[in-house]
Amino acid sequence: MKKRIIASLIIATAATVRAELSADEIVSKANQASYYAGKDGSAHVVMKLSDGRSRELTILRKNDDNGVDQKFYVYFKGPADVRKMAYLVHKHPGKNDDRWLFLPALNLVKRIAPGDKRTSFVGSDFLYEDVSGRGLDEDTHELVETTDTQYVVKCVPKDPGSVEFGSYKVWIDKDTFIPRKAEYLDKNGKLYRVVESTKIKTIQGIPTVVESIAKNLKSGSSTTNTFDQIKYGIGLKDRIFTERFLRRPPREVTR
Amino acid sequence: MKRLGMTNFSIRYPWVVLGLVLAITVFFGMQFPKVHFDNDPENMLSKDEFVRVFHHETKQKFGLYDFVIVGIVNEKNPDGIFNVETLRHVDTLTQQLLSLRPGSDGLPQVASDKAQTDWQTLDLSPKGGFQRIMGKVFGHDPNRLFDEEGNSAIIGRELISPSVVDNIKQADQGSLKMEYLMEHVPQTREQALVIRDDAMNNPLYKGTLVSEDAKAICIYIPITEKTYSYNVATLVRELTRDWNNGDKIYIAGLPVAEDTFGVEMLVQMAISAPMAMLILFLLMYFFFRRVSLILAPLLLAVVTVVWTMGLLIGLGFDVHIMSSMIPIFIMPITVCNSIHVLSEFFDSYRIYHNKAETLRHVVKELFMPMLFATTTTIAGFASLATTPIPPVRVFGLHVAFGVAVGWLLTMTFVPAFIQLFISEKSLQRLPTSDQQSDEHANGLLPRFLKRVGEFTYSHSRSVVWTTVAILAISVYGISLINVNDNPVKWFTKNHELRIADRVLNNHFGGTYTAYLTLAPEGGGTTTFDEAAFEKKMEQAKAEDKKNIQPWEELSDTINYLDDPALQSLETFRAALPGAPAELFRGLENLSGEDLRDAALDFCDQKTQTSAVEKLLAQKTELTAPVFKRPDVLRWVGRLQAHLLEQGKVGKTSSAVDAIKKASYELNYVKGSQDNDRFFSIPDSAAACGQVYMQLEGMKKKDTLFHLVTRDFQEANIWVQLTSGDNQDMESVVASVDQFVKNNPPPVPLKVRWAGLTYLNVVWQNKMVTGMLYGSLASSYLVVFIMMVFLFRSGLFGVLAMLPLTVTITFIYGLIGWVGKDYDMPVAILSAMTLGLSVDFAIHFLERGREMYKSSKDWKEANARMFREPAKAISRNAIVIALGFLPLLFAPLVPYRTVGFFLAMIMLTSWLATLLILPALVRLLEKRLFK
Repeated sequence: MKKRIIASLIIATAATVRAELSADEIVSKANQASYYAGKDGSAHVVMKLSDGRSRELTILRKNDDNGVDQKFYVYFKGPADVRKMAYLVHKHPGKNDDRWLFLPALNLVKRIAPGDKRTSFVGSDFLYEDVSGRGLDEDTHELVETTDTQYVVKCVPKDPGSVEFGSYKVWIDKDTFIPRKAEYLDKNGKLYRVVESTKIKTIQGIPTVVESIAKNLKSGSSTTNTFDQIKYGIGLKDRIFTERFLRRPPREVTR
Repeated sequence: MKRLGMTNFSIRYPWVVLGLVLAITVFFGMQFPKVHFDNDPENMLSKDEFVRVFHHETKQKFGLYDFVIVGIVNEKNPDGIFNVETLRHVDTLTQQLLSLRPGSDGLPQVASDKAQTDWQTLDLSPKGGFQRIMGKVFGHDPNRLFDEEGNSAIIGRELISPSVVDNIKQADQGSLKMEYLMEHVPQTREQALVIRDDAMNNPLYKGTLVSEDAKAICIYIPITEKTYSYNVATLVRELTRDWNNGDKIYIAGLPVAEDTFGVEMLVQMAISAPMAMLILFLLMYFFFRRVSLILAPLLLAVVTVVWTMGLLIGLGFDVHIMSSMIPIFIMPITVCNSIHVLSEFFDSYRIYHNKAETLRHVVKELFMPMLFATTTTIAGFASLATTPIPPVRVFGLHVAFGVAVGWLLTMTFVPAFIQLFISEKSLQRLPTSDQQSDEHANGLLPRFLKRVGEFTYSHSRSVVWTTVAILAISVYGISLINVNDNPVKWFTKNHELRIADRVLNNHFGGTYTAYLTLAPEGGGTTTFDEAAFEKKMEQAKAEDKKNIQPWEELSDTINYLDDPALQSLETFRAALPGAPAELFRGLENLSGEDLRDAALDFCDQKTQTSAVEKLLAQKTELTAPVFKRPDVLRWVGRLQAHLLEQGKVGKTSSAVDAIKKASYELNYVKGSQDNDRFFSIPDSAAACGQVYMQLEGMKKKDTLFHLVTRDFQEANIWVQLTSGDNQDMESVVASVDQFVKNNPPPVPLKVRWAGLTYLNVVWQNKMVTGMLYGSLASSYLVVFIMMVFLFRSGLFGVLAMLPLTVTITFIYGLIGWVGKDYDMPVAILSAMTLGLSVDFAIHFLERGREMYKSSKDWKEANARMFREPAKAISRNAIVIALGFLPLLFAPLVPYRTVGFFLAMIMLTSWLATLLILPALVRLLEKRLFK
């Protein structure tokens, strides 16, 4: 507990000297705040698609000791036909991730070859990259505006041919470094996609997004994720994030 | 005399009449700028027509759009289109289409690279001055590719092209790769061939995106509205103009055909109508030799067209394929009336030598036959108002209006015109009676007519028997008639769209799309007894608590054992006090993770029998939505197989194909003999659901939902036909009905069709049956009653109907015999036949009766009939038949059909009138003139 108080003090201190932060530093801190909070954690997610369908999953995350790599375990609890389906991801920012998939009804574990990270996450309006984070080196960042409460950073891809957007802007809270909104413009500069963190709650001293929405303005669809049962520092073991645990979901997800 | 009232007024106050006509013409002419064109054959059905509503619901439900299909064919390269350069072309075109945006000047701009840095501005305006003017006149802007907000007409995210369609394939270390079929443009032949193999191995692409012979590829460009398709086609032609490595571009699809037809139809109108006018002018000049005289009927035709089209536009109707033909129908009919007047005027002027007197005589003479000829024509066209097709109703009523106007103007405008602009002097110079009778005796036409007259008198019986024989043969011909239509066939054989149609349908599964939709009867809600389930669940839970839970807890403990506990079986056993002995059996020589794995495997065997899991799995199967059920999906697979056997269907695509392919790739094990077995529907609804989930997470989101609804309760089979003929579509529909009847689906399903190809079948059927049984039959009856009334004799009535009966029977018999399809234009023309061919009969019989009155002998009356009256009829027939011959050279088939028909109608009813009527009058002389 003490450690966490110290950590938040550091963040608070950082906030007081915010004027000197560069765009890259802001984005790096935002990346930490949204994807690396705590040493590990778990959350139960209800994913509501605008077409009326919903999905229920549990996500486990564990940070590697190097502070860069991460492991994810995504376990489906519903709807009934995909119950027990699971994904495993070993994330290596800057390199290809390792991904596996388990389909219980086919009794099948399959490795997924590295591919485009800007594809839909299980058919929702969130992209794989929204869930696991985008490499910091992939864009150039520019601080375009600083308000009383937020930084506004414009990000432009270094390799424009590799992504579907032209640029995006992120609104980052000054005190928590949680990105509150990201607006994606297409290559003609037209807004077509918005991702927002609509509800934030402090859990175990860590500001945490508990509701987020992704909207696709072109197709008119949207997806809302609601997070609950969020826990940090639960002592997840590395071995949970292995292929064999796909077939045998660990108690952290089945409970 | 009352019937002379209008004419007298016109003779007395010609300026008033002329001024009035001019004023009304200006009024109607002022409506023209409001014109709005509508090229969409879909509007042949009224907006609330069930199939049309259903078609749009289906499009919405499955996110379907109208496509412009771009075929790229390479016959030169041994690898077909799968060579580096062609694939680069395909990718560049794809990027260009995706990037389409309006520039600051409104002209379209495209970028050729993925990063969209290299922009180029295009101007799609035609190079030729004539086309430019036509475009201006008809308000067609070739650069119109955006909506008012500047959004592209192309729906980029739904584009189907190798660069942007998903593929699922095996990659390194038994992993599965999901990327675009042509994720990167190939640099080497080997890479190009990999793309070929990937495409051929995907049932969703083979035969649709790429041809099975690898020589052709199709890009499907979805557009927001059908009316963009002509411009999108122009854009593609412009973007591919500099391709020179043997790649050929073909553009196809019903939307393009329909839109192109609309555009070309207007141009055609602008050429054909004046051309017809010119020929009418020349022919009349040939007969009457007075420009000032024949100006009247020509002006009359123009004025009538302006009034009618002005009315149409003023009333707010769109100019549709049908209504664009109004001028072509009105002109011959109105000219017909004026020719009668002119002929009579010429012949009578020699007697009266006074314009006014001559006019009075002419009108007196012709009033009744013309009135009846006009009213019968009006009846024929107005009867179209009874058809269930809105544009045909509009067409029929407006032509009827035009014919009425034409008659009115003949009675008023023509006399006024003659009064004002033709001097008595110029008329004095007309050939004298003597000269006239010389000409009458020696001219080609008079000599021919004289002989015809004599022939009908001497060979009356053989004329009748020949007619009977022709009728019999024709009736048989009618039984051979093929009711069939296809908008692509509205273009002539060498039109680029027809060529594209042939080429692409030769290489692919077909460019004609229909959607076969399947939905459960009653919405697919399954009744599931929740209460009973809960009860069973409680039992199961209790059971599991006893049998399963201890093993689950045990395996959980094993999972979290630390390394020291796994050193040997002893340490392991010690770490698990109270564990059943059977767990440790056979684990003697193991340690570390191997030991843990082996122990866990044993636990797994024990927990597999969980009653709760079993119940949950059962529930999943029982409550699964229809199109997650393996039995239903397999049935769909069989239906698709049946469709392919049917012959006209080149290719079908459904969620079943997507599942099979995904299942195959997911289960694929390198070197296994078993792989092919997995190209199938998995065995449970849960398994299908899980495979679907993988398809949902593909690179291109939502592709799956073109084939199945998001709740998986309804499915759509994309059926591609190699022919857009009604008959072929109908045979496919019948074949599906038959299959469903013989192989009932596992759950009752509503099987319904949508798609443009199917829509065309519906309206064309309505048109044919509506025309044939509705309007043609009823107007035939109406005309007959009018004839009886006109001649005050049933027998004369029957006689008057004969030429038209023979004409219709003969012409439709001919269509049957030569095998021409009975299509939309043919159907419309039946109304025309009725109105035109009764004309001659009325004139002949009415005049014949007059002549008989004075001579009391048919032989003499007959000889006189074959002078003036026969000449007027013949002039009419020749002018109209020849006047519309230019239509035969039109690039659009319906215009050719109209041209050919007009000539045939004229020729046949002319012959029928001049041969059959006099022959029958001779035979029935006594009974007719009691």
